[in-house]
Amino acid sequence: MTRITTPARRPPDKRRQADATGTRTGIGSPRAGDGRAAVGGRAGGRLRRWVRAGGPATLVFFLPTLIVFALFSWWPIVRSLPLSMEQTNFISTQWVWFDNFTKVLGDPLLPTAVLNTTWFTVLALAIGFPVPLVLGIAIGELRRSRQIAAVFVYLPVILPPVAAVLLWQTFYDPSSHGVFNTVLGWFGIGALPWLNSAALAMPSIVFQATWASFGTATIVYLATIMGVQTELYDAAEVDGSGIWKRIWHITLPQLRGVILVLLLLQLIGTFQIFTEPYVMTGGGPENHTLTILMLIFRYAFVSGNYGTATALSVLLAIGLGILSFVYLRVTRRWSNS
Amino acid sequence: MKKKLWRTIAPLALVALAGAGLAGCSGSDNGGSGGKVTITVGNEPTSDQTAALKVYKKRVADFEKANPNIKVNTTTTSYDAQTFQALVASGKMPDVISVPFTDIQSLIARGQVADITSEIKADPQASKVNPTVAKVAQAGGKTYGAAIGAYTMALIYNRALFTKAGLDPDKPPTSWEEVRADAKTITQKTGAQGYAAMTTNNTGGWSLTALSYAFGHTIESQDGKKATIDNSATKNALKLYQQMRWDDNSFGSNFLLNQDDVFKQMAAGTVGMMVNGSDGYNFAVTNDGMKKDDFGLAPLPQENAGLGTLGGGSIAIFKPKATQAQISAGLKYVDWIYYRQYFNEATAITTAKAAAADGSAVGAPGLQLFDNATNDRYLGWVKDEINVPRDNYKAYLASTTTLPLVPEPMTQAQQVYGILDNVVQAVLTNKGTDIDSLLQNTQTQVQSAIAAG
Repeated sequence: MTRITTPARRPPDKRRQADATGTRTGIGSPRAGDGRAAVGGRAGGRLRRWVRAGGPATLVFFLPTLIVFALFSWWPIVRSLPLSMEQTNFISTQWVWFDNFTKVLGDPLLPTAVLNTTWFTVLALAIGFPVPLVLGIAIGELRRSRQIAAVFVYLPVILPPVAAVLLWQTFYDPSSHGVFNTVLGWFGIGALPWLNSAALAMPSIVFQATWASFGTATIVYLATIMGVQTELYDAAEVDGSGIWKRIWHITLPQLRGVILVLLLLQLIGTFQIFTEPYVMTGGGPENHTLTILMLIFRYAFVSGNYGTATALSVLLAIGLGILSFVYLRVTRRWSNS
Repeated sequence: MKKKLWRTIAPLALVALAGAGLAGCSGSDNGGSGGKVTITVGNEPTSDQTAALKVYKKRVADFEKANPNIKVNTTTTSYDAQTFQALVASGKMPDVISVPFTDIQSLIARGQVADITSEIKADPQASKVNPTVAKVAQAGGKTYGAAIGAYTMALIYNRALFTKAGLDPDKPPTSWEEVRADAKTITQKTGAQGYAAMTTNNTGGWSLTALSYAFGHTIESQDGKKATIDNSATKNALKLYQQMRWDDNSFGSNFLLNQDDVFKQMAAGTVGMMVNGSDGYNFAVTNDGMKKDDFGLAPLPQENAGLGTLGGGSIAIFKPKATQAQISAGLKYVDWIYYRQYFNEATAITTAKAAAADGSAVGAPGLQLFDNATNDRYLGWVKDEINVPRDNYKAYLASTTTLPLVPEPMTQAQQVYGILDNVVQAVLTNKGTDIDSLLQNTQTQVQSAIAAG
């Protein structure tokens, strides 16, 4: 992500100007003065100009991305709309309209799954949001070994997710020989049941998920901090402000835009939590870690009912869409400040 | 700045949302034409099973020679609950593929298997399959598949741990009180977990169902219309779990285990006993490296009112869009590949030799497909190739002809198993769970799952 490094004190009218002129270059964007040519000639002229400006090459380079996205991302999304209103065994298909939605909304497990997922999101935000921010700032303050610190922080992200989850599953071994329980034992604390406990299972999963993913966010924060103009800090230091004041008045305001994006991405990401509970607990104990995506998975791959699975997927997408919209509305003022 | 940020966030959000989509697509179908029938069959041995693959290819070639109007295309495609729907959707489902007992009824309910009632009746070998086994692939008086391998739920135990605990490995427990006592002894004498149960991915419900049968009650009525989970047999089974877990401490401390997990523990010698399929020899010994002399197998212990045990195995099913000619040809193929060894000495010996060469088990304990005479004749043919200590399973092997096979719940078996996973987890993770009220609640849940099916 690129960031505009305009100093904060720059007058707003100039900023808008920069916005309007600086960034927009488009393929075949109409220019004043073309209007007077004949219709055919105009089109031909445009085409010629497009070719001369390297249009075909752009298109060729763009095409693979376009095809892959269309085939594996956009088309499935479009296809999921009718599928959510069908009952199909993939041999014969009937339209059942909103029956799938009624079935999903009537499933006694849905409230459980929604509550569990929300609980995961809340915990993940409470634990997983501040950690990379603090680490990013802390590493940014390092004079030496900043890069090696960044490497170490990013290391967990490199591990394949399922391998990492299985690793943590052995850490969480509920017997007194488990890694965590052994450590607790040193301090005289008895063995905890971890994933086997209704109360501890979800926090345990959140810890693992946070550990597995905080590296990415930390690196993004760190990169942004590195991009902050050093004059700002120099000026602050000349003015006699300490480290906390510098963080509060310079670093955090400069990070605002990135924080907003990462928070939203995390919100959407955590609502789609699947791998960790699927591998670590299978949704247990007693469905305490059953998430929305696990329910979708069960509909599709245990019950073989793709209609209800897609209906719940559509509902989740709508829910997340609304959530994102509200989030962007609410934070609009803030991002503008 | 304001607009810019918006413009950056919105597409990002959209892309992230895309993850919530679920895709499906449809495909087309092709069959045979003219006088020659072409069938595509799954479950070809994978390339790591060199000897078996070679023999298989030879046998398919022989089959084509014996049936010049049938052309067989083989693929290694095999059944997996998670990919099967995509296989059907893409039209790539082979005309013949084998599926587990546990899934056949839901496939029938969803209309994803062909009705082969008349073809199977006309088939000389398939019609001889043990009727209790054949029944697994039947619904509403029609037959939807041919059983090609079978096992029963049994007590699997680690003979080395039995010896170490001072128990006689040749006298495994025959009642549940004995199971409890032996589990306690194993834990006390060896420090290993005396007994283990699967609890996740529907396996908790699956094994609890087997235990309920052994204690004397089914979990659904015979017609599959009523939930009968709130019964004294299931209650007693759960009470046994509760006592082993909380009073005897012989049940370990991790209760989120799937089938792989328990077999790994059994093979590693950290678990003394468990209830699982009698085909578990392949998991524990062939896959997980358990010493073959340590693998113990006993009939599922029965209480006085015990109904018998739950069966499992593989069934060859046929593609719903297969033509009648393809089904007939497919059934002939099933005869040739899976049944012929029980009726033809040369085939029996070559197949067994190939399996032994690949390190697979020959003579592994299971449930016999055909009557005693046929089975004994087969074992006589392959007696030099048997690489499994069958003497260790005498009691189990004797039980296969006497212990009744009780079918799985008729309606929504997998969903019901899923609900029962939670019951098992509740008893094992919460001390003092009230089993009576737990089963009352479960009864309602199972009933609504049945109604939804």
